[in-house]
Amino acid sequence: MLSLLAIMGAVTYYIRRARAGNVSEVRRLAGIDAITEAIGRAVEMGRPVFCSHGISDMRDATYGPQTIAGLSVLSYVATQCVDLGARLIVPVRNTEVWPVATDIVETAYKIAGRSDEFNIDDIVYLSSDQFGYSSNYLGMMMREKPGANIMVGAYWAESLQLAETGNRVGAMQVSGTANTHQLAFFVVATDYCLIGEEIFAAGAYVTEDPVFISSIAGQDFGRIIAVALMILGTILFTFGSDALISLLEW
Amino acid sequence: MSETLRRIEIPIAITVLCTLLQIVPLYIEVEPLEAFSDTFRSWMILVATCALFMGAASLSLLHSKKIQRRTTGWQFSVLTLVSMVLIMVTGLPIPEIGLGVDNQVFDFLFTNILTPLGATMYSIIAFFITSAAYRSFRARNLEATVVLVSGILMICYNAPLMTSLWQGFIPIGDWIFSVPNMATMRAVIIGSALGAIALAMRVLLGIERGYLRGGEE
Repeated sequence: MLSLLAIMGAVTYYIRRARAGNVSEVRRLAGIDAITEAIGRAVEMGRPVFCSHGISDMRDATYGPQTIAGLSVLSYVATQCVDLGARLIVPVRNTEVWPVATDIVETAYKIAGRSDEFNIDDIVYLSSDQFGYSSNYLGMMMREKPGANIMVGAYWAESLQLAETGNRVGAMQVSGTANTHQLAFFVVATDYCLIGEEIFAAGAYVTEDPVFISSIAGQDFGRIIAVALMILGTILFTFGSDALISLLEW
Repeated sequence: MSETLRRIEIPIAITVLCTLLQIVPLYIEVEPLEAFSDTFRSWMILVATCALFMGAASLSLLHSKKIQRRTTGWQFSVLTLVSMVLIMVTGLPIPEIGLGVDNQVFDFLFTNILTPLGATMYSIIAFFITSAAYRSFRARNLEATVVLVSGILMICYNAPLMTSLWQGFIPIGDWIFSVPNMATMRAVIIGSALGAIALAMRVLLGIERGYLRGGEE
């Protein structure tokens, strides 16, 4: 709880600092920068853009944040697609995420004053079954031949199926997940991959809002705590003390 | 009225309230708060269940339109709708009239169609792994060479034929798995956990709004 409060305190501190005008610098994320390029490429090729946010729901304590991060990326992709005139197709696995995804895309069209162009059939609920979803997704990719395939969220065994099929149809692909067991597949099969925490930073990164971006700097404080605990734990354990383990288990 | 209900502050307030109701009882033992938190979790399941009907409705509408317009492959839409209705009706939990998991039609559909289809989709991953490996295992630069060499060593480590030819693959594979691989995975996991905490913080403060209709007012 203390670590949690310390990290939360650090995030709040950096947000306040940014509001006072002291903005932290964040390194460029090649994967996010490539999204606009991928959408532009799809427009030039006259092909649609696929954007999915994983197969988890938003409630799950472990995987839910990845879905939220994926939806933040969807929001950015939707805005870009509306601006550039690309057709956006969003394959959805989870029924409770479907209305949220629909609302995000519809709002992007409304803001641009082009509500009439919004097609609810392009936000497709496919199946709640993992492989029902993936087989539908693959079929849609083979039929629609997307120019860009953006996948950010929690993925499992279907990750490689989607990435390889995207590659087969010639789509430029940007992926991202915090599921370590699927990262290797995304890294080798897609053009750009957001690794682990980068997907959580993506939502803040795309806004280009200084306050928002500064909240990412707060994470670094948590990283310092983690590294300090690891070094301390290693030293203590090497000298035969399990005091830190006992303290953390307390 | 509808404009007021569309204000973004409402979903943000609901999110903050629900999040706090799940976090606070973990650290502070207050019986009414815990009871309220439990009730909230039940509501969450109810909301998620209601969403299932929305999914079914969306799917029905989409495929009905395809059938109506006779778009390419509309026959598959008929098959989808028929399968959906059939498995939904036969799976209804009313054992008194022979429906539910013991229903023969439901059992047949589940055992002989749904399960083999799922297994087929899972098993084709082997082919996708092969094609991905073929494309990526090229020594284009130093990083790709490291991936290539370690990949080959891990294949040899996992293939009984190779380890029987040379026992040295076992300690090398063990080392790759438990040292560089483990270190990288732990770094990614710690980073992801910190990222998720920071995201939660931004959601709690109402700064992260991308998931709420793009964060627009």
